[in-house]
Amino acid sequence: MDAITNLLKIISDFVAELIRSVLGFSPLLAELVVMGLAAVVLITFAALSFMGLTYVERKVVARIQDRLGPNQAGPFGLLQPLADGIKMFTKEDTTPATADRWVYNLAPLVIAVFALATYAVIPFAPGVVGTNLNVGVFYVLAIGSGSIVAILMAGWGSNNKYALLGAFRTVAQLIGYEVPMLLNVLTVVLVTGSMSLIDIINHQTLAEGNPGIPHILMLPLPALVFLISGIAETARSPFDLLEAESEIVAGFHTEYSGMKFALFFLGEYVNALAVAFIFSTLFLGGYAGPILPPYVWILLKAALVFFVFMWLRGTLPRVRIDQMHALNWKFLVPMSTVNLVLVMLVLKLFPTSEAAAQTFGGILVTPWVQALILLAVNLAVLFVSLALAARAARRFRQAEEEMIMRRRSANLATARA
Amino acid sequence: MTIQQLIFIALAILVIGSALFVVTTSNLFRGALMLIVAFFGIAGFYVLLDNGLFAVAQVMIYIGAISILIIFSVMLTRGMQAMIPRNAQAGSVAIAAGLLFLILLLAFGPFRLVVDLSGVPVLATLFRTESPRVLGGLPWSFANREVPETYIADFGRALVDLNQFLLPFLLVAFLVDAVLAGAIYIARQRKPAEVIAEREAIAKEEAEEIAALQPQAASPALPQSAVASTAEH
Amino acid sequence: MNLQNTINGIPLEWYLIVAAALFSIGLYGVLARKNAVAMLMGVELMLNSVNLNLLAFWRYLAPESAAGLAFAAFVFVIAAAETAVGLALIIAVYRSLKSVDPETLTQLKL
Repeated sequence: MDAITNLLKIISDFVAELIRSVLGFSPLLAELVVMGLAAVVLITFAALSFMGLTYVERKVVARIQDRLGPNQAGPFGLLQPLADGIKMFTKEDTTPATADRWVYNLAPLVIAVFALATYAVIPFAPGVVGTNLNVGVFYVLAIGSGSIVAILMAGWGSNNKYALLGAFRTVAQLIGYEVPMLLNVLTVVLVTGSMSLIDIINHQTLAEGNPGIPHILMLPLPALVFLISGIAETARSPFDLLEAESEIVAGFHTEYSGMKFALFFLGEYVNALAVAFIFSTLFLGGYAGPILPPYVWILLKAALVFFVFMWLRGTLPRVRIDQMHALNWKFLVPMSTVNLVLVMLVLKLFPTSEAAAQTFGGILVTPWVQALILLAVNLAVLFVSLALAARAARRFRQAEEEMIMRRRSANLATARA
Repeated sequence: MTIQQLIFIALAILVIGSALFVVTTSNLFRGALMLIVAFFGIAGFYVLLDNGLFAVAQVMIYIGAISILIIFSVMLTRGMQAMIPRNAQAGSVAIAAGLLFLILLLAFGPFRLVVDLSGVPVLATLFRTESPRVLGGLPWSFANREVPETYIADFGRALVDLNQFLLPFLLVAFLVDAVLAGAIYIARQRKPAEVIAEREAIAKEEAEEIAALQPQAASPALPQSAVASTAEH
Repeated sequence: MNLQNTINGIPLEWYLIVAAALFSIGLYGVLARKNAVAMLMGVELMLNSVNLNLLAFWRYLAPESAAGLAFAAFVFVIAAAETAVGLALIIAVYRSLKSVDPETLTQLKL
């Protein structure tokens, strides 16, 4: 039982021991080699999951839209990703004559590197994590901003106005949605009291003196906003405006073909999967769970989140660009800010530890009661802001209708005259 | 030679090289990209200094915000790309900057100028000859201390501690607020001619709309006044 | 080399030399460039070198005090603020004068 639970840890320890004893490396060098191997394994995992996810996504979206999806290559179309890969490899690799060559060629590489760099801090099982940074959450958010640079490089380097327009759109979207994402991650950090992803998981794990409530139960609003801004950050449908092919061809990667395009595609999927992993770590308890081994739990949870992504992609139409920015700046950001302040107040007014209660005052409560209060506050904020938004939308629609009516009657009048 | 020393030298070459590229290139977009490389190198230095928080903050603020802003303004001022990168005094400035570096190198570097300048107090501290000293004359006392585990929490508490950095922290917060408003206001300002043209266009549109509404406004006015007159009776 | 005064074999002076070089390069960038955006890049390099110095001193001399960190953080914030306002000004100037060369800014009004 123990062997199954700690499978990944045992394997990595075994490999480290092997390198140390058989090859006779010094401990520091052996550690470096093991780290390099771990990086290779992580990158392979990400690349393989990219191949698998393209297939699964096409199948799921096809089913949602009452189609069959890929079914020709191999049994159930299972070899489709392989066929796609071969197609990508053999495609001609073109470069526009007026492109800024260095920038143009580096952009896909940069985006792939930044996408893969996120996996360095994702914990897959106890003790199985690239590196346990004490600022893990902050690192994830910071690395996300690297892809913005890559997109600007691609847009500028292609020397194509559609690419540049797409890049501008993307950057406006990514920078905008970073704000609610950060604000909501901050609530989780406040509740946990740590920025380390391991500590955040431990806070949601059943242990002595810790009820192990998944954060989604006490912070449903941050979870929702994180999901929305995560989808926007990875530019997936319904926020895939940067590659709205009917408007700006294919956005910043219009000029890319062959393997460079494949790298952009990989970056997109790997980023989306990373968001799924981070979401399950922050809100669903990460690898914590009963009976099944931890690495199965985190994979299950991430798969569930990714299924939600696919579900949204299969069912929702694309959002208009002004609506997208309005949703962010006029709805998500104010709501998240209010929620953050209220969560802060609740944590100070209803502390769970005696020391905090003594220093700051407030009523000492059990973790369950605190979670319930947080839940109530969250739901209240959510419903109040939804009601406000609905009222504003109704007024806006009424004004619009009145205007249309006025125009129509004016047109009629001029026609009569 | 330890691994950290090798990493330091590699980072130093990366940072200095990309910084030199930034200040000499005529292709500003590439210059901005190399600036990002320099920022990354400095984040690497922060990691070597056992300060993960500031390394990540460096990536977030300098690469995620400042570089993007710079790239944007390079793109928006595209007409200036063909300009000569250097101005008239570039040569003398280069010499001055080189001299500054030389002085700093002599003050701190390993190639200490061993001259007895004890008669001149200022120069004596500048070109130190014996134990390491800061420019002000305070001796450096190393203790090979470790960074405490809780340095992030300590730093956070210091920022909101009335006896430490609460006041500067609040001032900085006000500054950021003012900057937010100011930057939006400045970037929004337009040429008077543009504003006048836009106002004229709006006025013209409004006049047209009013003209279009005139017959319609006249027709419902009749029954309304009729209703009013009947109510009065 | 006196290894007692080093951390992982790196003496404090190395950081100071790199920071000094970076500061000089940034100074050259500010004074010798014709483009205001490029000048701003030089300013960023100088601010970074200052931050590197601050954090190096923090690590080597006073790792248990928050003063070095606080100063470095304020430099971060002020750098960001300065970039935002500076670039907004440059773009406003560019819109009305069609130039980002500071030498063309000879009037007090646009």
